[in-house]
Amino acid sequence: MPLKPMHPARGLPTRRIQWLALAALALGCVGLDPGWLLGAFTLALVLVAALKLLEARDRRGRRLVALLQLVCCGLQAAQQPDLLPSLLQLLAAVLALAGLLQLESGQSLPLGLVLRRSLRVLGAALPMALVLFLLVPRVGPFGTSTAGPTGRASTGLSDTLDPGGIASLVDKDSPAARVAFSDDEPPPTGGRYWRVLVHSQFDGSRWQRDEDAEQTPRFPADVSAMAEVPGQPERDQVWLVEPSAFSAVPWDGAARPLSTRLHPEPEGELRLLRPALERRSYRLKELASPLGWQRQPPRRSDLQLPPTANPRLRELGRRWSQLGGPEARVLAAQAWFQSQNFRYDRNPGTLPQVNGLDAFLFERQLGFCGHYASSFSALMRAAGVPSRVVSGYLGGEWVVPMGGAPYLALRQSDAHAWSEVWLPKRGWTRVDPSVWANGTSGENLADRLGGAPTGNASSQQGWRWLQRQWWGLDMAWSRWWLGFDQSRQEALLAWLLGGQRWALGSLILGGMALGLGGALVMLRRDRQPPGDRQARAMAELLNQLRRLKIEARPGETLESLAERAAARYPALADPLQELMACHREQRFAPPATDRQAQRKLQQRWRLARRRLKSRNKGAIRQKS
Amino acid sequence: MRSAERSAPQPTQFGWPESWGRAQRGEQLQLGMRNLYILPTGFGILWLAGSALLQAVGIQTQRNGPLLLSFLMLGLMLLALHLTHFNLQGLVLRCGRPKPGFADETLLYPIRLQSSCQRQAIGLQLAQGDPAFPRRLAAGSSCVGLAWQCRHRGQQTPGALLIRSTSPLGLFVCWTRWTPPVTQLVYPARRDGPVAVTSSAPADDSAACKVTPGHNGSDDWHDLRPHRLEDGQSRVAWKVLAQGRGRHSKVFSDPVEAPPLLLPAPGIPRERALEHLSAEVWRRSLRGEMFGLVLPEVRITPGHGHDHRDRCLMALASCP
Repeated sequence: MPLKPMHPARGLPTRRIQWLALAALALGCVGLDPGWLLGAFTLALVLVAALKLLEARDRRGRRLVALLQLVCCGLQAAQQPDLLPSLLQLLAAVLALAGLLQLESGQSLPLGLVLRRSLRVLGAALPMALVLFLLVPRVGPFGTSTAGPTGRASTGLSDTLDPGGIASLVDKDSPAARVAFSDDEPPPTGGRYWRVLVHSQFDGSRWQRDEDAEQTPRFPADVSAMAEVPGQPERDQVWLVEPSAFSAVPWDGAARPLSTRLHPEPEGELRLLRPALERRSYRLKELASPLGWQRQPPRRSDLQLPPTANPRLRELGRRWSQLGGPEARVLAAQAWFQSQNFRYDRNPGTLPQVNGLDAFLFERQLGFCGHYASSFSALMRAAGVPSRVVSGYLGGEWVVPMGGAPYLALRQSDAHAWSEVWLPKRGWTRVDPSVWANGTSGENLADRLGGAPTGNASSQQGWRWLQRQWWGLDMAWSRWWLGFDQSRQEALLAWLLGGQRWALGSLILGGMALGLGGALVMLRRDRQPPGDRQARAMAELLNQLRRLKIEARPGETLESLAERAAARYPALADPLQELMACHREQRFAPPATDRQAQRKLQQRWRLARRRLKSRNKGAIRQKS
Repeated sequence: MRSAERSAPQPTQFGWPESWGRAQRGEQLQLGMRNLYILPTGFGILWLAGSALLQAVGIQTQRNGPLLLSFLMLGLMLLALHLTHFNLQGLVLRCGRPKPGFADETLLYPIRLQSSCQRQAIGLQLAQGDPAFPRRLAAGSSCVGLAWQCRHRGQQTPGALLIRSTSPLGLFVCWTRWTPPVTQLVYPARRDGPVAVTSSAPADDSAACKVTPGHNGSDDWHDLRPHRLEDGQSRVAWKVLAQGRGRHSKVFSDPVEAPPLLLPAPGIPRERALEHLSAEVWRRSLRGEMFGLVLPEVRITPGHGHDHRDRCLMALASCP
């Protein structure tokens, strides 16, 4: 054998794959917010990785680049957990690992080969990672900071409701939120009120939220209430909310939060302690019984009315205050609204700045949900019934995509406002005075809220259809991936271990050992040279013939053995000939560089073996 | 040819952690659990730190992505621990038969490798050699020549051989050190310098040795005679032929001198004198001249050819 000297130095592999990984990372940076500390850190790290890759002249530097790329993937995943960015992050991680594998192999290998190798290594490590991911108990965050992106959000809601100052509602068709249900059944049409903000401070024309509404939550999260209740047919809701200016997120007011970061407030807002300007996801569990906020007694401020504004409104309310109880006053108000000629209109024009609600109630009688909720709540306060205005979303479109999970899509144009009144026997009760306007019922109000379709309807249809399909996949991703949180993990551990939590360590170790064993077997099999595989296949064939009492003689060629077998069992002649042809090709033809050709050859071999096996059984039966 | 002023290379010391562990002995070494060492590299420790950072980010942001990636990095590290070990485990190394070479020049020390599977990026480095680029080993047998340099003549071993691998991810370094026992013959370094030359004729034994200058060029003919075919082209007096005086052969001053015997030049340190002889032997052998060698305990009668040259060089290498 010729003696080949080992070269003391040779160039490192090309940087192409590492540049590709950086390109994927750069693309993933598009949605990051540089105003957020984590976003700025990620952008800086990607830049450092690029500069380091430019500068690196040795193996150590290039390794560091691969590590920086993987860390950047993780940081991006922390900020952009949605389906599309996640796919991009996965691509970047596969490329970063491929770059590292190529670097360590010391050769510039074809891209396809390195990517396959990278996927194989990732696939081998994945079972272990999943064991740890699923079973290692989750730790809560180190603090309750809601620092996050600082960019501007687009939302149809405002913390100040001043319907008199709005001449017409703008049709904003942008998405607001999506919700999927664990049983894939849509909620009843009449019950699709998704509350977000509660406005309880009234100055005569505007309704505002409490000043400290965005401060620290006043109700601590009830961790015990998050535990799964066995035997109850409760269904999950998985929400995906677009960036907004508020920490309050949509909910139906009757579901149980499944995360310590979700806080139901005394007014009935649900606050999620995550940066509001990022896409947020959370899980709720529907409940049949009302939650605590509905039983929170009213405060003095829930009855406050400015003493001089809207005299006619106050006079009407004062008259109703003579009636027996709050229920009777609400009914009187309903009767009064329905007896008047109120009409629902999205372009009612502005109201006078002074006594605007009087002008709406007794003169124009034309307005949208904000006018009705605002004036009805003011009337109730005048009648001595604690009340407030709630803004959120009404309705939504039930979408069943071709792939993924069905979901209810809420758009900014579904924004709606309604009232809540305090009834001593029922607590805070929703009243939607918009449905009392002429020609408006609960069913078609949601349609009217959505507004008339705008121009380019047909082109938008196609785009919207595509968007819905993608959202369906995104929703399924959110349900299974983003929805796996501390509570889901607790449920999984309870299912796996029952009450025997002490066995968790053994379970993790066992799972890791299994995962590691499987990975090593898989990767070691790949290392075996193809010659061994051929030898194995040949040994299997000889065993099969041996079962037919056909033994290979010393020095006998395979062809001669096949001829003997075919002479004894003519039915086996065809498959044996095919096997001989395959064997000759595998052994003596120039090695196929095309993997597809190799695969085809292996497939031919398997097929012939299968045919031989089936005829083998027939031959044995014939002989017996 | 290297100049005499060139300093000899210093033996390489293996870095951390490869200098740890017992060096293996024997003509054959099969790598396995008992003789392989494995530790995380600096990059492996950084990798762990990166995984910890992602874990902290995942906990703080309550996102699954960084958590899974962090666990994936841990899983890859655990996998790499075994894969790096497997990359060396089972590899069989045997000493080859090394060819002689000169001191202060690159020598090739052959190692035969036997592997049942293909292996990625195996690094082989001799303590006195340059760091070698990691190479891929195909399944089966192969032979590699490891470059090294030696300052001393004689039967020499190249010292410890480091066998290491960080493949596939560079997170762990797995290594072993082996001292191959098979020696390689190292001739004295080839250095230009004076050597003593004496005639091999018996009458001349008592004659004083003539010290030749370093360069032995000669065109000292004193007569011409008509050219004969058996004189060969090299003796043709081309200048005379060009002058139109006919084809003549040169007659040299010492036409039938007995083949010379080379001796260490007097008054020069012995090792240096041997190095001069080494260069002289090589040079004369290249020219196809006949020569002999006389050393304190060895006398090699004049001869020519590769075998004769190697015999002389071996005598120089093993001269006491």
